[in-house]
Amino acid sequence: MRIHSLWKKYGDHTAVAGIDLALPAGRFIGLVGPNGAGKTTTLSMVTGLLRPDAGQVEIGGHDVWRDPVAVKSRIGVLPEGLRLFERLSGGELLSYIGRLRGLPGDEVDKRAGQLLDVLDLSGARNKLVVDYSTGMRKKIGLAAALLHNPEILFLDEPFEGVDPVSAQTIRGVLERYTGSGATVIFSSHVMELVESLCDWVAVMAGGKIRADGPIGEVRGDAPSLQDAFLELVGAGSRARAGQDLDWLGGGGAR
Amino acid sequence: MSTATTRPVGTPATAPASPALMPLFVRLKLSLLKNGLRQSPGRTAAYVISLVVTLLFGAGLLLGLILLRGVAGTPALAVLLTAILTLGWAAMPLFFPTADETMDPTRLVMLPLRPRPLIGSLLVASLIGVGPVFTVVLAAGSVAAVAHGAAAVIVGIVATVLIVLVCAALARAIATANVRLLTSRRGRDLAVLSGLFVALGAQGVNLAAQKLAQSQGLTALEPAAAVLRWIPPASAVDAVDAAGRGAYGRAAFGLALTALALVLLLWWWSRTLTTVMTAPDSSTLQAIEKDSGRKRAGRAGGWERLLPDGRTGTVMRRTLLYGWRDPKTKMGWAAALGVGLILPVVTAVQGGGSVYTACWAAGLLGLQMYNQFGQDTSAFWMVASTLSTRRDAFLELGGRALAVAVIAVPYVTLVVLGSAALLDDWGAFPEVYGVALALLGALVATGAFASVRFPYSIPSDGNKNVAPGQGGIAWISMLVGVVMGGLLCLPVIGLTVGLHVAGLQGLLWLVLPVGAAYGAVVAVLGLRLTAPGVLRRLPEILVAVSKG
Repeated sequence: MRIHSLWKKYGDHTAVAGIDLALPAGRFIGLVGPNGAGKTTTLSMVTGLLRPDAGQVEIGGHDVWRDPVAVKSRIGVLPEGLRLFERLSGGELLSYIGRLRGLPGDEVDKRAGQLLDVLDLSGARNKLVVDYSTGMRKKIGLAAALLHNPEILFLDEPFEGVDPVSAQTIRGVLERYTGSGATVIFSSHVMELVESLCDWVAVMAGGKIRADGPIGEVRGDAPSLQDAFLELVGAGSRARAGQDLDWLGGGGAR
Repeated sequence: MSTATTRPVGTPATAPASPALMPLFVRLKLSLLKNGLRQSPGRTAAYVISLVVTLLFGAGLLLGLILLRGVAGTPALAVLLTAILTLGWAAMPLFFPTADETMDPTRLVMLPLRPRPLIGSLLVASLIGVGPVFTVVLAAGSVAAVAHGAAAVIVGIVATVLIVLVCAALARAIATANVRLLTSRRGRDLAVLSGLFVALGAQGVNLAAQKLAQSQGLTALEPAAAVLRWIPPASAVDAVDAAGRGAYGRAAFGLALTALALVLLLWWWSRTLTTVMTAPDSSTLQAIEKDSGRKRAGRAGGWERLLPDGRTGTVMRRTLLYGWRDPKTKMGWAAALGVGLILPVVTAVQGGGSVYTACWAAGLLGLQMYNQFGQDTSAFWMVASTLSTRRDAFLELGGRALAVAVIAVPYVTLVVLGSAALLDDWGAFPEVYGVALALLGALVATGAFASVRFPYSIPSDGNKNVAPGQGGIAWISMLVGVVMGGLLCLPVIGLTVGLHVAGLQGLLWLVLPVGAAYGAVVAVLGLRLTAPGVLRRLPEILVAVSKG
């Protein structure tokens, strides 16, 4: 996947300020950055859900905006902040999205059943998605993104608000998926998670890529990715904040 | 905090010294009113205008009621007015839950307050405002209309106070119970549909009022009043009437009934208030929805097997399921179906009217094709990520249009048939049916175009159907769409008028096949022409439908 000078502005605010990035295939790639760094905007533009002001995105040699036929069948997406068709049950949602993707009905039902089993959602397959918990929503969204066996999977904050059990399930599925040579690109601000899952990271802050490469390279001499990240986004000096709150703590309310 | 948790619920708080709650809440209510006015000059103006109008209306009613003293049937009117007033108070917290912010007990949950002192202060606070003043005026008017004699006046004063208190307590109790309801999804779904109940209820009131206007005098109200006079707080008005006639036993009973109602309401309110303020709500505890997991057969139901294969059938299935399950979409459909039926029936019952009023059904159902993608909410991304060719886009629009047609065509047929039967004007049937089908086709075509060019968000909660800031787009899309739809029908309408003018009544049946074919062709052409636009504008549509 290649991104060339990608820009997006909302009024006066520049969300993404000219990103150039080349990501290798077959890796587990983490896109990290603080809130408001432009991760979601970037992923939306890369997956064809948001029109960039300028720049190009190529996936597998095909331009996302000029050749959507070749791109859309090869990628799977789990966006953040966008809803699912919540008035369908989990099973109906998968059956719907699989058929929209043009898969044969029997195949959709078979894959949907297996995905629901693996993701521990079989018991909730007849429950409306609107009644799902956050973790269940992420899992059914992941199932919908995997149903057509894409080559590249884009996940925006897949672990946000997810309980540890569901997170472990999602992790297991993703590791099995990348093990077969597929690419996963996911955004997160939980460094420990990125460090333990990814072999390649891109650090974003203020709408720009601050560093990218194999995880060892980006970490450099820092003791952990967390420290390297804080250094990169220039937040290290703010770590001692809170010295003025001398009244806070020590018991005795009021 | 730590001392409060160990004390059993219900024992009075001793420390810290509980503040005088009543003046506090009265001040709170007054500042809320004042701050509400301060937000914008428009709001101040609206408030002042509503105040003046309400007071004028109240004064007019009061005057009218006093003038009606002694007229036969006035007691029945007074009883009925009180009952309607109570119903209004009961409905207000359901339809305008945010109308009075002091009504929402969840805002007070974190404060160390006990239910009992709270109830008194909240009740007094809810007596401040325009509505309560209107209530006092109307209750006093109803009592004044029937109070004859000194005894009746004394009973009347008590009755007025009781009526106002019952109304306020009822509204408060329902608002509090409503908080419980609103924490479940089914309750929220119902709240969205409430607008429909108002619309249909208004139609019922309209019919009743017309009936009353046709009959002679107020005595027509007697049957309704005969029942309502036993229901508090209307029983208090009846008590005043009874006291005037010297029936003191009945007067005492009527008053006692209302007083009992007040006590029961306060008790119920106190109980729900305690529950609401001590039990965890949906923000801290995942609401358990028992009924959603009900057995939806793993295999598709009977009707789903009738759908075509491929994208068309998939899209149709989803659209039809949403028409039933999504409260906002359901409301649109129910309103179109209901009004489309009521309008022809009401005009036919009132005499006059023509079979052509049945075209309302076609028009309203055709409007369901408008803002298709807005009905998806931001879940439209799932559609967007699977659309890559023009054919996909055409099938997507076509599936939605077919879903609309599957409901609309049989329904329009039934309404046109019913109108022709009701008016016994079978001669007009073919031409009206033809024009209706042409109109439906034209609206499907313009609806597809408007869905692509002017998409807007439909907020999923509350009564709003347009996200803030997009009202203009919604109006333009509807207005331009309907005008264009009408223009597109002109050939068929022209044919009908031409045949009438030329005196070729024998050939009017031609309008039916021509209209049906024309509607189908226009619809398909419209979908074909707009399909490339869907593909081009996917990100723009997604942004437009993702607000709110």
